[in-house]
Amino acid sequence: MNAPDRSGGIGANRFIGQRVPRKEDARLLTGKGTYVDDVVMPGMLHVAFVRSPIARGRILSIDTSIARDQPGVHAIVTQDDLARFNVTMLSFFIGPVEVAMTPLADGRVAYVGHPVVMVVADDRYLAEDAASLVVVDYAEEDAVVSIEDARHGPAVHPDTDDNVAAMMGEDEEDAEFEALLASGAHLVTQTVHHQRISQSPMETRGVVAALQGDEELLVHITCAGPHLVARWLTVALGNPKMNIRVVAKDVGGSFGLKNHPWLEEVSAILGAMLLRRPLKWIEDRIENLTASNQAREQEIILRAAFDADGKLLASHADYSLNNGAYPMGADANIAVHMFMWSAYNIPAYSFVSRGYYTNTAGLAAYRGPWAIETLVRETLMDAAARQIGIDPIEIRRRNLCTAAHQPSVTSLGIPREDITPAECLEKLLETVDVAAFRREQAEARKEGRYLGIGFAAYIEPTGAAGSIGVMTGELAQVRVDPTGKVVAIMNVHSQGHGTQTTMAQCIAEQLGVPLADVTIFDGDSSRGGFGPGAGGSRQGVIGGGAAIRAGRLLADKIKTVAAHLLNANPENISIEDGMIRVAGAPEMTRSLREIAEIAYGEPSRLPPGMETGLEAQIRYDPPAMTFTSAAHAAIVEVDAETGFVKIRRWVSSEDCGVMINPAVVEGQIAGGLAQGIGSVLLEEAGYDARGNPIAATFKDYMLPTIFDVPDFEYVHANTPSKAEGGFRGVGEGGCIIGPPTLVNAIADALAPFGEVAVDLPLTPSKLLAVIDGTPLPPKPMSRFHPEWVNPYADTAAATKTDGPVEEVPAGATLLPGGTHAALAETAARGIDGAWNLTLATPMGPQPMTATFATEGSIVRGRLESNEGAQEFEGTVEDNQVKWSMKVTKPMPITLKYDLTFDGDTVTGKCKMGMFGTAKVKGQRV
Amino acid sequence: MKAAPYDYVRPSSIEEACTILAEAGGGAQVLAGGQTLMPLLALRMSQPFILVDINHIPELQGVTSVDGGTRVGPITRQNEALVDPILNRDLPTLIRALSHVGHHQTRNRGTIGGSIALGEPAAEMPATAVALGAKVEVRSASQTRFIPADELYFGPYATAIEPDELLTAIHYPAWPDDTITLFREVAMRPGDFALVGLVGALTVEKGVIARAGICWFGMGPTPMKAKSAEVALIGQSIDTLDAAATADLAIADTAPFGDHHATADYRRTVGRRIFVRVLQEALNMRQAA
Repeated sequence: MNAPDRSGGIGANRFIGQRVPRKEDARLLTGKGTYVDDVVMPGMLHVAFVRSPIARGRILSIDTSIARDQPGVHAIVTQDDLARFNVTMLSFFIGPVEVAMTPLADGRVAYVGHPVVMVVADDRYLAEDAASLVVVDYAEEDAVVSIEDARHGPAVHPDTDDNVAAMMGEDEEDAEFEALLASGAHLVTQTVHHQRISQSPMETRGVVAALQGDEELLVHITCAGPHLVARWLTVALGNPKMNIRVVAKDVGGSFGLKNHPWLEEVSAILGAMLLRRPLKWIEDRIENLTASNQAREQEIILRAAFDADGKLLASHADYSLNNGAYPMGADANIAVHMFMWSAYNIPAYSFVSRGYYTNTAGLAAYRGPWAIETLVRETLMDAAARQIGIDPIEIRRRNLCTAAHQPSVTSLGIPREDITPAECLEKLLETVDVAAFRREQAEARKEGRYLGIGFAAYIEPTGAAGSIGVMTGELAQVRVDPTGKVVAIMNVHSQGHGTQTTMAQCIAEQLGVPLADVTIFDGDSSRGGFGPGAGGSRQGVIGGGAAIRAGRLLADKIKTVAAHLLNANPENISIEDGMIRVAGAPEMTRSLREIAEIAYGEPSRLPPGMETGLEAQIRYDPPAMTFTSAAHAAIVEVDAETGFVKIRRWVSSEDCGVMINPAVVEGQIAGGLAQGIGSVLLEEAGYDARGNPIAATFKDYMLPTIFDVPDFEYVHANTPSKAEGGFRGVGEGGCIIGPPTLVNAIADALAPFGEVAVDLPLTPSKLLAVIDGTPLPPKPMSRFHPEWVNPYADTAAATKTDGPVEEVPAGATLLPGGTHAALAETAARGIDGAWNLTLATPMGPQPMTATFATEGSIVRGRLESNEGAQEFEGTVEDNQVKWSMKVTKPMPITLKYDLTFDGDTVTGKCKMGMFGTAKVKGQRV
Repeated sequence: MKAAPYDYVRPSSIEEACTILAEAGGGAQVLAGGQTLMPLLALRMSQPFILVDINHIPELQGVTSVDGGTRVGPITRQNEALVDPILNRDLPTLIRALSHVGHHQTRNRGTIGGSIALGEPAAEMPATAVALGAKVEVRSASQTRFIPADELYFGPYATAIEPDELLTAIHYPAWPDDTITLFREVAMRPGDFALVGLVGALTVEKGVIARAGICWFGMGPTPMKAKSAEVALIGQSIDTLDAAATADLAIADTAPFGDHHATADYRRTVGRRIFVRVLQEALNMRQAA
């Protein structure tokens, strides 16, 4: 596309928008990259872990005596040895995790693969030999594996009441809302079961940690952002009296897994501090597929009411997410609901969202962590089209948010402007001849061949900054060295994203220098400034904006210096191809190097008062959120004899704003779509009923290969965003919109046979069951379900859980009898005073202190938290207190508290605008 | 993971290899192309004391025509076999199956004999050996013996080859020019082991089936020979053959299992369908010819 010139810089559009080859490719593709396993340090030792073979149980004993005596073994480390470090495991938001958690297992194991013992030896072979000789005795307990197990089973963590790790939304049925849903001409329900996904980066996790004396801890770690990891480690290790420097030159993919360190990396780092030797741990593929945190295992039931014309009236979602044993932050995935209907016009939306602890690998992010909203909504829209009898395109046209509907706010109150899903769909339809396809489809069906077309539309938040603590703006430091070469220090941190090219394109364009002269460094926390690194589709939007602004600032300085030296007007100076020219005076042309040498070395020749050197630094904070929109179409053929799906065509129509490099944009879309195809057809990181992983190698964890991924077609329906440069993020979109596009195409192909249940992956067995009308047997019921019948009950004694005895919670103490007034007075005495409260927010638990003073039916109080203090006034009835208050951080919303006091404890909820309802717990101070 | 410690030896003759195997007393593992063994070693699922690398024994290499058929040296690389003129002329069924073994890259190292000696029940080479009526030649320090391929397999990765024996050749019998190939493999991705696989050869003389060799892969704990269907096919006219009834007989000789990639019912249902389709397509081509 021809991007409008929004850069305002020199030589605009010389590099931005160009399909230039990636600068880093030759290096990476010829094995010259530096990944963490390439790092070798003098005296370095190697780590292997002894991991739990059971999903849930107590550790009875650990015998390291044989292992310790093996040749080459330096140390056998257990949690007892690491206890001295007093580590706090943190979420991505740098808040403490909600359950007790230690780097190595402390008395209990909570999933197969849980690291129990760390063996340190001369090499990895010897470490694994010794690890196989460590003897650990366990008392196995019944594992809580599935979401259904978590609902009915014993608590995974002994210090919690139940397995609900996080809860948001309305957990009680709302009769008014139910009536609203029932009031439409059509009520459509769509259920999605999404399997567990392993991020499967090509480079597995790994770390090399080494103390540099007592003043620095050097950590080479494959990660999404060295600055974030340095910050995370500094807080997690209790702000040690040393600098923590984190380095990751090249990274072989993260996809959400490497946002911050987890049990193994922390153990290895502590081991290096304990032994005062450099330690290396490189995760192998089995560890990556079974013990790394994973993503996506979730269930959602979405209901939507439509009027007789197929227009949306109201919708409700009930969502559950398997958090595993140790999620990287307990998560009810609020973003699912924030963006569920944000591309559509719908008057009302309500939800309940729960994350559950289970005895499985913990939850981490995965490309588009909230993606199930697009999957369930877009498959619902197609199901609604079939149920109501409208074309799937037409039903979207009637409901999508167009330019005419903007600016507006969504039904959850999210400001919405600058989105183009409807326009992307129309552009898509200029490329995809649907009528011709329908004719081909009808002809094929006569021959027993089943073709289908699927559509999906969505919007996605990208480049978020300023509303969530760690999601900051980005710093760019750009300098022209005395050699005339340009170096930029950034923190976009490529995981293979091509930012060494795209950021150089932004800077070269501003400075008017050849692309080859610009080099980007972004892999070291000792350089540049804080930023979270790669994540949230932010590199182009925020990094690109920072690069442009810093480049422009430096170009201005160069022009000022040159104008002074050449006795010219700055407006007449231009920089092209590294040469500084004066308009109308070609004889005055100077190289950038000549100007740079003077700028650094001859202060007297600079304008009076000007700082020497040619350096610029700027921190760019973009709009709070920049939306990307897209619509996709896929055409498939399903083999009715075998249930296999062949993708025949796939067209992407996206609005990712101004493109820095179309090849990089298309690479991002294609990669995301490949992962989407894997999710729909192939991948599954599941567990058996006992909690054993079923896919431990790539033979069983089936990533899509090049044979499974078609050549995609791209329609760039781009409009500039309001961010600097007009960019929008494009990193996650393919992985979000891919799955519903493909599912809808399969469902369309098989429409003659009935509806296809969205129970991923859609294996040939599942699709053949639809085609043949022979439903698969239902999934076995959870052994913890009250109606479960032990099929072996006749032959075996009923098994008894060996775990902590579940006590029936003591019933609420009843207040003594008396008049209502007396009760109120008793209650008032039970309320007044100071209380410590914890609010379970989407960013983790937030501690607060509240003081209450009741007076009849009125209560006045004051609430203090890290965000500040605020007074409030509310009502009291019996032992229940309600009040509302407006807050401005992290965003302006009204909080409505509803607390019930009982002795020295208080429980209740807080309604937090679009974030739904969060639990509140507390005790008297 | 990293392999457990083992000794590595590289014999240069069959005799030397057999002596090592005899002395190892069951603690040795033979290394051919290594495309399955190396991962098993790294996973510590295979922990031999001695790894016997037979890649440098010239007698184990190459394809020759012999009286009554074709002799294939076990360390012949799969990609070498694919372009071998003798195999392309005399054993087109083997060539057809070979093109589905792993990927081009793995076929550069992977060997015919390694795959047959391993005995993966969902792999192409063991089933093809069974279908074509091959015999494997195995030698120990004291004797040489021949094992018919359909007596070679007892279960997944369990073969009649004794720990002190080395697979030294595969003898495929000659099949006449009037032989048609039956082949179909249904796999999750190209190059994966089969969910359902079928390989076979039918010799048609004057419109009548004179000889049949058919074997399933991925349809039980070993390659599953479709004996009843073979017997039923012989003597039948290709014009009046009831493919569906033959498929029922063929499926009766399978014992598929279910896993998270496909159910046992799926394997049976699709197996029956591909049998009918492959047989009909082959016969139709024959009739048209």
